[in-house]
Amino acid sequence: MRLYDIVVLLIPDLSEEEAAKVTADYRKILTDGGAELVRDEPWGRRKLAYPIERKRDAYYHHFQVRSEPAAVAETERRLKLSDQVLRHLAVRADEELKRSAKAAERQKAKAARRPPRPVAPPVSEAGAEATPAERGE
Amino acid sequence: MAMPQRGGSRDREGKTAGRKKFFVRRRKVCKFCAEKLEYVDWKDVKLLQSFIPERGKILPRRISGTCALHQRKLQTAIKRARSIALLPYVTD
Repeated sequence: MRLYDIVVLLIPDLSEEEAAKVTADYRKILTDGGAELVRDEPWGRRKLAYPIERKRDAYYHHFQVRSEPAAVAETERRLKLSDQVLRHLAVRADEELKRSAKAAERQKAKAARRPPRPVAPPVSEAGAEATPAERGE
Repeated sequence: MAMPQRGGSRDREGKTAGRKKFFVRRRKVCKFCAEKLEYVDWKDVKLLQSFIPERGKILPRRISGTCALHQRKLQTAIKRARSIALLPYVTD
């Protein structure tokens, strides 16, 4: 099981209800494939940063699923075919998260290993002040 | 007072103190390191937007102060956000 982030952009010609219906279709494809929904958020109608197919906005929907690759592959295939989908993006999220968790752990371990930092003598300030004075004499 | 001290005392870097006029340069810190954000979320438009100047280009590391690791993550995040029109490729 892997964690995926999937964002779907639907054409703005649909009404709110129609958009909800279309996302429901994809939700069904995902769950039928054995995916477990972690997040399921409509972002609503948003302005696009640049026009796509002459359209200036789109309905965004975000799924986060824990799933086998096959279910996501199938969903992506269908997303590509649909005329109601402007764009979609499906990426794995677990690798990044795992790596960052590991990094956080490493940092914690490092902090534990190192004794608390001794109070550094104010070298830089003293040095900076002393130099011009010395040169003056 | 023998030598004119032109802002030299305020210079923290020390080596060129007293030579030329200096700005007190604020040390740039990687935003992600400072806030302990390991994972750069490509869905967080607000965050990414702070690294996109007017032209829509990705703010270089030398200006933002982001560390190499996080700049790399930021870069992929911005590119992903662009592909689904959350961020522009170009603006003019």
